[in-house]
Amino acid sequence: MTAPARARRVPALGLAPRTSVALVVASVAGLAMLAWPLVASPPPGYERRLEAPFALAALLPVLVAVLVAELTAGRLDTKGVAMLGVLTAVGAAARLLGAGVAGVEPLFVVVILGGRAYGPGFGFVLGATTLFTSALLTAGVGPWLPSQMLGAAWVGLGAGLLPPARGRAEVGVLAAYGALAAYAYGFLVNLWFWPFAVGPDTALSYVAGAPVVENLRRFATFTLATSTWGWDTGRALTTVAGLLALGPALLLALRRASRRAAFDAEARFEPAGAGRSPAGR
Amino acid sequence: MIRFERVTFAYDPGTDPVLAEVDLHLEEGELVLVVGPTGAGKSTLLGLVNGLVPHFTGGRLRGRVSVGGRDTATHPPRALADLVGWVGQDPAAGFVTDTVEEELAYGMEQLGLAPDVMRRRVEETLDLLGIVELRRRALGTLSGGQAQRVAVGSVLGAHPRVLVLDEPTSALDPVAAEDVLATLARLVHDLGLTVVVAEHRLERVAHHADRVVHVDGRGTVTAGAPGPVLARHPELAPPVVALAALAGWEPPPLSVRDARRRAGDLRRRLAGRSPGEPVPPRDRPPLCRARGLHVAHGPVTALAPADLDLHPGEVVAVMGRNGAGKSSLLWALADAAWRSGGSVALADGAGAALVPQTPGDLLYLATVGEELAQADADAGARPGTAAGVLAGLGVELAGDRHPRDLSEGQRLALVLAVQLATEPSLVLLDEPTRGLDPVAKAGLVAAVASLAAAGRAVVVATHDVELAAAAAHRVVVLAGGEVVVDGPVAEVVCSSPAFAPQVAKILAPERWLTVEDVARALVPELRRP
Amino acid sequence: MTAGPARAPRRSLHPGAWWLWALGLAAAATRTTDPVLLLALAAAVVVVVAARREADPGRPGLRGWVVAALAVVAVRVVLRVALDAQHGPTVLFRLPELPLPAAAAGIRLGGPVTLEPALAALYDGLRLAALVVSVGAANVLANPRRLLRSAPAALHEVATALAIALTVAPQLADSAHRVRRARTLRPGPGGRRHVLRQVVVPVLTDALDRSLALAAAMDARGHGRVRSLGRGRRGAGGGLVLGGLVGTAIGAYGLLDAQAPAAVGLPLLVAGLGAAAAGLALGRTRALATRYRPDPWAGPEWAVALSGLAVAAGLVAASVADPANLHPPTQPLVWPSPGALPVLAVLVGFLPAWLPAPRARPPRRPPGGEVAAGTGGDAEGTRPAVGAAP
Repeated sequence: MTAPARARRVPALGLAPRTSVALVVASVAGLAMLAWPLVASPPPGYERRLEAPFALAALLPVLVAVLVAELTAGRLDTKGVAMLGVLTAVGAAARLLGAGVAGVEPLFVVVILGGRAYGPGFGFVLGATTLFTSALLTAGVGPWLPSQMLGAAWVGLGAGLLPPARGRAEVGVLAAYGALAAYAYGFLVNLWFWPFAVGPDTALSYVAGAPVVENLRRFATFTLATSTWGWDTGRALTTVAGLLALGPALLLALRRASRRAAFDAEARFEPAGAGRSPAGR
Repeated sequence: MIRFERVTFAYDPGTDPVLAEVDLHLEEGELVLVVGPTGAGKSTLLGLVNGLVPHFTGGRLRGRVSVGGRDTATHPPRALADLVGWVGQDPAAGFVTDTVEEELAYGMEQLGLAPDVMRRRVEETLDLLGIVELRRRALGTLSGGQAQRVAVGSVLGAHPRVLVLDEPTSALDPVAAEDVLATLARLVHDLGLTVVVAEHRLERVAHHADRVVHVDGRGTVTAGAPGPVLARHPELAPPVVALAALAGWEPPPLSVRDARRRAGDLRRRLAGRSPGEPVPPRDRPPLCRARGLHVAHGPVTALAPADLDLHPGEVVAVMGRNGAGKSSLLWALADAAWRSGGSVALADGAGAALVPQTPGDLLYLATVGEELAQADADAGARPGTAAGVLAGLGVELAGDRHPRDLSEGQRLALVLAVQLATEPSLVLLDEPTRGLDPVAKAGLVAAVASLAAAGRAVVVATHDVELAAAAAHRVVVLAGGEVVVDGPVAEVVCSSPAFAPQVAKILAPERWLTVEDVARALVPELRRP
Repeated sequence: MTAGPARAPRRSLHPGAWWLWALGLAAAATRTTDPVLLLALAAAVVVVVAARREADPGRPGLRGWVVAALAVVAVRVVLRVALDAQHGPTVLFRLPELPLPAAAAGIRLGGPVTLEPALAALYDGLRLAALVVSVGAANVLANPRRLLRSAPAALHEVATALAIALTVAPQLADSAHRVRRARTLRPGPGGRRHVLRQVVVPVLTDALDRSLALAAAMDARGHGRVRSLGRGRRGAGGGLVLGGLVGTAIGAYGLLDAQAPAAVGLPLLVAGLGAAAAGLALGRTRALATRYRPDPWAGPEWAVALSGLAVAAGLVAASVADPANLHPPTQPLVWPSPGALPVLAVLVGFLPAWLPAPRARPPRRPPGGEVAAGTGGDAEGTRPAVGAAP
């Protein structure tokens, strides 16, 4: 009971103008909340108290929830819900496969391919829900989760916005994007957590009131020393390897499912006897 | 209750319509069987009843479908949910929640019922279907029959007037199938529901039906009383109908009881003739000697130590209820990795190939052609071997089709061809009849016979006693991991009155296994001037 | 049935109550660096988890979270000790100095290890650790599935998708196991790449096909029944959401900018988010689904939630009244001596450990034994009532 093939690529979650604007505005707000060490110009001595960042961290999940709700409320039909649920499960399971091993994070493969096959809106929500589900499955819903969710959501969004391509070019584009996205994700998530992790008064600490370049230098040293060689590079390598090895086959499976689901299936009703029906074959 | 008025439906405007000018009127309180070859459009017909077709699938519908006065053009499936309960082909895939109780309540939640109403209806449904003890069970731990009953219960909570089921017993063993069908019959008779069921295996359900709707592959749909409609399509009908045609019973009886009442004359005609029971070939030395085959998962024994000898050209049917160890036996024969003890000695140069319960697990490429080519490459065989085997099985498949889009029978044939590319001497089939329509089943019987004729040994694990009667020389019955019986097919299969093939039940105490046997015995008589 | 007073069976606490309690303790932890208070908060968490945790072998316990918290503290202390920019008077021991290339100017590895900075780092790390452990307690005590059921209406679709994901994820493991087993039946080329493809592709395809069957079943059972609200409400809701989000963006940047007025900071941020949430609540459509066995929010829930919020309120009040008391200095080094209010507030956090597990309230028996419904029969409670039963 399935519809035959269609040639057009149809997104599973359409982005109306209003939701696109909401997405952009909320992303700007989210960027402020995540990249606050580079944005903030608070009075000196601020880094000891960190009240504003705590407030931002507490409000970030609300922002993510509001944004996801705006994208999906009343717009995600049953097929979309089921597809989102199943792909989220695949991504979460993928993440759990690599759990514990530094940097092996196959989940970005799923998020990027999902965003590519089903559109930017779907990719955004998929990124957020995948991380949330993997946290639920491991009982690991921590204070770092909203930032990870937003980061992964942006990765999925970006994958949906990549230029159209087919065949080997597509895999190449996706792999390059995957590497870039993995490092950018690591950069953002570390940036948000950096002042909390390191604390004040060390050579690598965040210094409130210092010029952006100075803080950036300190952060760069911190990241390079700790995370880049480990987690970020591992994540980038896993993503690129996964996309190169499995990308074509998985994209084929996802697109086939998209065709069979017929998200834009049009049900037309006509009265009996309208036009000649091909008789007696 | 259900009215189709000049319904023509096509998924794509450019293609031939799946159903053309269908006129159907199903009354309230009827049990309606929908029969037809695979891919003919039975699922489409069922989907039209509750609006899934075309609201969910897309397509163009001409004409009018109305259920209980509601037109499906203006009522999408969710608006019909309180009137029509629909259960798809794979009930386990339709489970949304974790536990049985929540699943029963899910449909009612979506309809916006008050919590105390839901509580009461959940209890009613648990009692009605006899699943009270399953209340808190996780859905993943249910057996096939239990899952099917929970799926039926999950739609009953909305108190629908119509139930639509797509092949409810295809994956079930006979006992579970019997349970589900008896439940459906009770729902019709006690609650007055209208039940529309698409089924292939009609032996147990044909006599319950009030109406049979036949869908041929070309868009025509005919409906009528069960006897005449099934008599017109004997390839889909249960053996009793074919026997009736042979014996000249008009109208054909549909149950064993009715047939036995008419069978006196036939028995007299067959008196003195030998049924010609198939004899296991013993002319050549055994192909495979298994000694002490034993499978255990931790403290649980799946298969107690068993001995088995398999001769070339022999077909062995392994039967038993779910969990008896049939699959364990086959996997243990296939590969040493799956046995905990014992030895399997194959004759020189012999290999074993197994087709598992879900044959689709073996397929991972995007088209049929690629799968066949990969099978040749893996087996080191000449390119085209696997394709040749597929053609030899009588199945034609376009090379660019996606394996998941194939019907069950076609997929089974493809996997069989892939596995046969290695030219194994021992062929093992695990539950091959799941989801097969009667035509595909006949093809399977022919394929097994040709494999045996080519000198291979074939072992088939199955619930389907008709398949065993038609294809096997020998039957091994397992229970609780132990071999209970191992003997010639006629002896084993006819010894149990409840689980004998239909023809045997009708002509008991003589041991006639299939309609072909009876036909072969009658032919000399017919030729007599 | 044993004789004795009939007691209603135990029920689980609403997961939202545990999250409110835990977040209250976490918020309280961010207001102070007094190690006594922080250790007391952590102890409260551990005690309550031990007392109120529901036995569920499938879910991991608090141990992983405690390890994570300890790791946070350790990283802080080690980084501070090794990369310290300042020193205190009390020297503990000396580390060999490692010269670094000129590019990493300003960073000195090694040198004398002093007590005061290490303690300062310890206090700071303890603050984060208490926060992490509190959030961990919420994870352990609150059942995620029940939490999803209590999701607000605007997140209904996503909550359904998450519930489906939680159901499907374990099934994927079974599917992968089955496919790996089937792979051994087919002689094939070895190599990791082929293994991945042979297992991942069938599992994914299977899952996607099942998702379609799932969607059909959900549709057929009535998923997605909504009542459309008026156009005006839709427009107003949309405007509120957009406006709220713009306010949020401005508020976030304003909060971080020292030169901005106080009003264009946290208040605007909170107001913006509130407006956006209100806009969503106004919404485009109203889902008609009800909940079977909803988790009640009754006395026990209030008690637990309020205890957490009381801890936060107490510490906020104390930090406003006497901020220096909550941040004991390390130079000069003094024993931390928290005031009475903070200590009292933290002790309130222990309350849920002494409260008994809630019991289910027996259902109200309406007079006549029949639920008062509109027309009875099949149309009882079903909305919208579409025609009478035939």
